[in-house]
Amino acid sequence: MINAVRSELLKMRTMPGVWVCFGLAFPLTVLFMTAVFAGAGGFPGHTFYFVHTLNQRRILLGAGYLGITFLAPITGVICITSEYRQKTITDTLISTPVRSRVLGAKVLVTSYWAILMAVLTLVVALAVGLPWNSSLGGTTSSVLDQAGAVIPGLVAASILLGLFGLGFGVLVKNQVAGILITIGTTFILEGILIALARAIFHYNLNWLPSSAAAALAGAVARGGFGGGNGHAPDLLAWWQGGLVMLGWGLIPLTIGYFTTFRRDVT
Amino acid sequence: MTPPTATAPGEAAIVPAMTTGAAAIRGLPIEFTGLSKHFGSVVAVDDLAFTVEPGRVTGFLGPNGSGKTTTLRMLLGLVAPSSGQATIGGRYYRDIPNPTGLVGAVLEATSFHPSRRARTHLRMVARAGGHDEARADVVLDLVGLTADAKRKVGGFSMGMRQRLELATALIGDPDVLILDEPSNGLDPQGIAWLREFMRFLAGEGRTVLVSSHLLSEMAQTIDNAVIISHGQLKAQGSLESITAGISQTSMHARSPEADRLCAVLTAADMRFRRLAPDVVAVDGVTPEQLGPLLASHQIVLYELTNEGADLEAIFLELTSGLGFNEVEKPT
Repeated sequence: MINAVRSELLKMRTMPGVWVCFGLAFPLTVLFMTAVFAGAGGFPGHTFYFVHTLNQRRILLGAGYLGITFLAPITGVICITSEYRQKTITDTLISTPVRSRVLGAKVLVTSYWAILMAVLTLVVALAVGLPWNSSLGGTTSSVLDQAGAVIPGLVAASILLGLFGLGFGVLVKNQVAGILITIGTTFILEGILIALARAIFHYNLNWLPSSAAAALAGAVARGGFGGGNGHAPDLLAWWQGGLVMLGWGLIPLTIGYFTTFRRDVT
Repeated sequence: MTPPTATAPGEAAIVPAMTTGAAAIRGLPIEFTGLSKHFGSVVAVDDLAFTVEPGRVTGFLGPNGSGKTTTLRMLLGLVAPSSGQATIGGRYYRDIPNPTGLVGAVLEATSFHPSRRARTHLRMVARAGGHDEARADVVLDLVGLTADAKRKVGGFSMGMRQRLELATALIGDPDVLILDEPSNGLDPQGIAWLREFMRFLAGEGRTVLVSSHLLSEMAQTIDNAVIISHGQLKAQGSLESITAGISQTSMHARSPEADRLCAVLTAADMRFRRLAPDVVAVDGVTPEQLGPLLASHQIVLYELTNEGADLEAIFLELTSGLGFNEVEKPT
């Protein structure tokens, strides 16, 4: 298993798609921070203002969450679908013929890269957001105080979003379809379903992937979703969100393992 | 291992003199027992049973679509057999711990990520098999790709990809080599190098199983042959035993009147293959039969040679349900 993990780590490191995801995480984080500063003073009064409410401080530190919600799943999708796209699955399974071992390695490596992505966005927040906040008159310590509330949820959400992408990637095998399904689910279909469920059935459909991830991310996403007081009653509790999100990763992964992944490689 | 080396892709290979003494057997037998594979109603492999011996190059021969690749994929655990089994040294491939240290396989020369560098690809495979990553440079040198180690595989020619695939198979210095159409895309010098390379590996006592439909080059390389058609075993054994077992001779006639020659052969109900615009191979006849026939029709001949038992002719007879004339006649 260790050999397979080491090989998969090198494999991921040499995939351009993974680096594109990482490259996009940087500007998206900066973009979201810009929106935070722009909104901190309240519209239309100030253009930019330092973060001063609890939620603003948390959102600044976790500004990478927005990008992570779709970049982490794409990384997971790429991890498995590139094997079929580039036909490297043949060599992979010749090197490691026990398929559960290959999939296990991919779970670990996807998690590793999801953690790296969360760390990258945190580094960007610290390197760009804190000096920017200081230049606007804010204090560094007031933002860093929120690290304990932001970082665990951000990292956990990133990992489970990555596994969500990996699961769908195993299930569909096709890279384009995998990316479209994960992005379409989190950004388009989910919003439509939530709105329809609320309008027609008066039901709070809060267990779909991005809502569950938002519940897990907690302080960061709740600020964004729920607004001022840090509570978003529409979302699950953080631990419920974590379990639901784990299910969104493991269910397609398990189904995919017993169906597509065990099929003949011809 | 002190193998043949190549200078660079496309350049002539430098092959040291082969050891003629008997080498210790270090390979393992490959055994296929009642192996079958059905894809829906299509029978790709049908009750295949044969053994590949170590220390020899065994050609796995058959026309395209005869089930060679499916058979090799079943051996390597990539395709699940419908029935029967394929083992290496008595074990299923998937049950061999770190299998690339025992078995090296070349299945397709397209299974590379185009953005990955040659050395990185090999390091990746070395890691997966638990081998020293320094082996990457060793095998790159073996296949003559040292100068291209840092190049991305996407820029490689087909021949270079074949060499890299061979390097991949050799990363764990395996005792068993399984090569599926390894000469596809290689230039003549590359093919000559590959031939010597396979001979060298078998000379070290390894098991070498190589599939191909390029019979002319196989005839010069293999010790044993396994011939299949439509997924069924047609012949197996040493090259000598196969050619001796079938009284198939072939006469090659070179004539400026090849079209008229073919017409005469057709009228005489003889089997022939057009090898070149002016060369026709006539199978199953003796010089005493063919010479007078052509003379009676006043066909000009530049050359008439007795090729004896021709592997290609035998192969065609074993693998084709059609008459030779129908199979090989140029359009």
